[in-house]
Amino acid sequence: MAAKPKILLGKADEAIDLIFDEGTFVENKIANTYLEAELAPPVFAGEALLDGKLCTVLGNFSKRPNPRFRVVFNGVMGMEECYKFSQAIYATIEADEGKPLEEKRPVILLIDTPGNSPGKVEEIVGMTKATASYQFALEDARHAGHPVIGMIIGRAISGAFLCHGLLSDRIISLPKDYGTIVHVMPTTSIAVITKIPLERLNELVKTNPVFASGAEFVFKLGTLNEIIDTPEDIKPTLLRNIDEIRELKKAGKWDQLGIWHRGALGAERGGREVRQTAINKMDKEFKELLPSLLE
Amino acid sequence: MALTELNFEFKPGSPKTLVDEWSHVGVVSSGDLEVLIEKGNAYEGKAVIRVMTTVLGFDSVWETVLKRIVETTGLSSVKVSINDNAATPAVVKRRMQQAIANGGGLQ
Amino acid sequence: MRVEWKELQEKSFYQATARERAIGLVDEGTFREFLGPRDKMVSPHLIVLGEAVEFDDGITVGVGKIGAHPVFVVSQEGKFVGGALGEVNGAKMAYTFKLAMDCYEALKEKYGSVPEDRKPIVIVSYDSGGVRLHESNAGLVAHSECMEMFWKMQNKVPNISITASSIGAYGAQGFVCMSGDVVLANDYGRIGLTGPEVIQQEVGKDEFDASDRALIWRTMGARAKYIMGDVDFLLPDTIGAFREQVMQIAHMPMAEIAKYRHLGTPDLVEENLSVVKLAGEKGFNDSKDYWKYMGMKDVEDIPEMPQEKFLKIAKRRQRGI
Repeated sequence: MAAKPKILLGKADEAIDLIFDEGTFVENKIANTYLEAELAPPVFAGEALLDGKLCTVLGNFSKRPNPRFRVVFNGVMGMEECYKFSQAIYATIEADEGKPLEEKRPVILLIDTPGNSPGKVEEIVGMTKATASYQFALEDARHAGHPVIGMIIGRAISGAFLCHGLLSDRIISLPKDYGTIVHVMPTTSIAVITKIPLERLNELVKTNPVFASGAEFVFKLGTLNEIIDTPEDIKPTLLRNIDEIRELKKAGKWDQLGIWHRGALGAERGGREVRQTAINKMDKEFKELLPSLLE
Repeated sequence: MALTELNFEFKPGSPKTLVDEWSHVGVVSSGDLEVLIEKGNAYEGKAVIRVMTTVLGFDSVWETVLKRIVETTGLSSVKVSINDNAATPAVVKRRMQQAIANGGGLQ
Repeated sequence: MRVEWKELQEKSFYQATARERAIGLVDEGTFREFLGPRDKMVSPHLIVLGEAVEFDDGITVGVGKIGAHPVFVVSQEGKFVGGALGEVNGAKMAYTFKLAMDCYEALKEKYGSVPEDRKPIVIVSYDSGGVRLHESNAGLVAHSECMEMFWKMQNKVPNISITASSIGAYGAQGFVCMSGDVVLANDYGRIGLTGPEVIQQEVGKDEFDASDRALIWRTMGARAKYIMGDVDFLLPDTIGAFREQVMQIAHMPMAEIAKYRHLGTPDLVEENLSVVKLAGEKGFNDSKDYWKYMGMKDVEDIPEMPQEKFLKIAKRRQRGI
C-alpha cells in the first residue's frame, strides 16, 4: 500500500523543518535587522540555511491569529502581514547591497494563504496599498539580483497569490495529491456567480484550463514553472532553481524570469495563445506609430 | 447556453452607402448591443449583417428589424457586425441609426 | 468614426464610455487605438461559455498626445462584464504599459535622455471589479503583468490613475490603481480590494452590510480616500476637468510627480504601516471614527455636501512618516 501523502497545507512549521537545515530557522531576523515580533503574528519572516546557504524565508502560520484585526486568521494576508513581509524584503536587499549576484541571498516564499483579509477596517485604511507595497518590494528584490522563488505548499488563492508569490522569478508547486489549491475561486463558486451550470464548467475545463482549479491546469497557462512530485523534492528543486536563476541574472537574461516570462511559457504550453496574438498585433501597430511619437 | 450567430443579407431598393470608411457605437451591457459598420467593395449594393446574440429563438424578429432599417435608410455596400446582449428591437433600431450617423450618414 | 472632441470636454466623466474617456483625455484628434473594434479580437473564453462578447473585449487602449508628450491610455468599460480583466483585455492593458516603456527607451535613444517636455505618460481610467471569473486564471496573471510594468515605470513614466466611473477600481484593480503615481477621482470614484458583498459573504453582515449604500461610500468612496490621502485630486465630473489636471501633472518634472507616490519604497512602507498601527490601536471600525480623529466636525454631512465645500473643510492625512 502506498504511504499516505504528507500534507503541508496549514503546517508551515513542518514545511520549514522538512526543507531547511535542521534548527537553522530564526524568526524575525534578517541579517542585522530584527523585525517586530508582535507585528503580524499570522506570518513568519526570518532566515534559515538551505544546504548551508542563507535564505530569507516568508510564509503563513495558519494557527496564529492577529489580535488587532479580527478577519486575519487561517493564513489570511492582512495589512500588517504585507508590511512585515515588505520590511523583511527591504532588510534582505540592504543586507546584501553591493555584493556580487552569486552572494545575493535567495528569498523563498512558502505559499499557503487563502486570501487577503476581507474586512471593513482594511478597506478604510487601504488593504490595496498593503498588498501592492509587498509586490513592489518583491520586484525590488528580484531586480537587485536576489533569486525569488514561490513554493506552493498549500493554498495559492486569488488576491493572496497575487500578493504572495505570483511575481516571483520562478514558481514551483506540489501537486494536487498533496492538498495544494491553486485558483481564483473554486469552480462551484464560479458556477454560482456566472450562472453557468457546474456540469458544463466541469466538462469545459477538460479542454480549457482558463478557469479551472488546480496546479496542473494553471501550469498549462504558464502560471507555474514546475510541478514536483513529493515534498522531499522541494529542497533539491529549490537549490537547482536558485542556481539557474543566478545564472540567468548574471547573463542578463531577465526575459527568461518572472511573470512576463511565464506569459511566454503559457503560449508555448498552448494555454494562453490569444494573449500572444493580441500582443503581436499591438506591437506592430505601435511600431508604425513610433516615429510620430518621437517628433 | 450558447451564443447564437445569425447572418443576413439585404439589398435595399435605393442603395446608399456610409460617408466614412467605418463606424462603431454601443457597449455590450445587459439589454444593449454594439454595432460596427465597415464599407467594402465585396458587399456592393448589399448590407451583409452578422449578429452574435445571447438570446435564442428571435431570428425572425432580427430579420424584420434589420431588413426594415436597411430598406428605409438604403444602407448598402457595407458589412455590419453586431454583438448583442438581449437588446430590445427599439434599442437595436436606435443603435443602428446612431452607427449610421456616427459614420457621417449615408450618401 | 466621428467624435466631437469639444463636446466630450463638457461631458460627464462618469457617464462617458471607455472610448469617449480615452479620446477626450488627450489632445484633439490625436488618439490612436490599439486593437480597436475593427480588429474584432473578442474573448474566445466568453464565446465558449455562451456569454456576450465585445469587439474590444471591454477595454480601449491606445496612444495620443498632450503637447509633445506621448500619452498611453488604458480605459476600462465597466458596463461590459463589470470591466473585469480576462485574457484579451488583460493583455491589452499590460502590454500598453510595455509599449509606454518602449517609447521611453526610444526617446532616450533619440535625445540622449528623455526631455521632461516629451516624457511619455500613462493614464488608466479604472472601471473594473478585478478578475473576470469566466477566465479567472488568465485574468489573475494579467494583474501581475501590470504590476511588473508599473514597477518598471517608476521614476520614468508618470502613471496617472483615474477612478471616476460606475464600477470604481475594485478587487485586484484596486491595488493596481493605488500603484500609480497620482490618483485622480470625481465624487463617484471608489477604490477597494474586497467588495461589500464579498466581505458580507465571507465575514458576515455585522462586519459589513452590503445593502448600506452610505457605508459603502464612506468606506471605499473617493471622499474617504481623499481624506486618507489615497486620492490626490478630487475633481468635478467632466472629462475636461480630468484632462486639465492631467495636463498640469504632465508639466511637472518626473521627480515632483514621484513625490505623490503612495507605495513602493521602504519609507512609504513605514508611512503606511503607521496608519495601520493607528487603526489597530484606536480600534477604528468606521470611516467616521477616523474623520473624528482627524478633527473633523459634522462627519454625518461629509458624503452629501457639495464638492467645493467638502474640499474646504476636509482635514486630510499628512503625508510622510
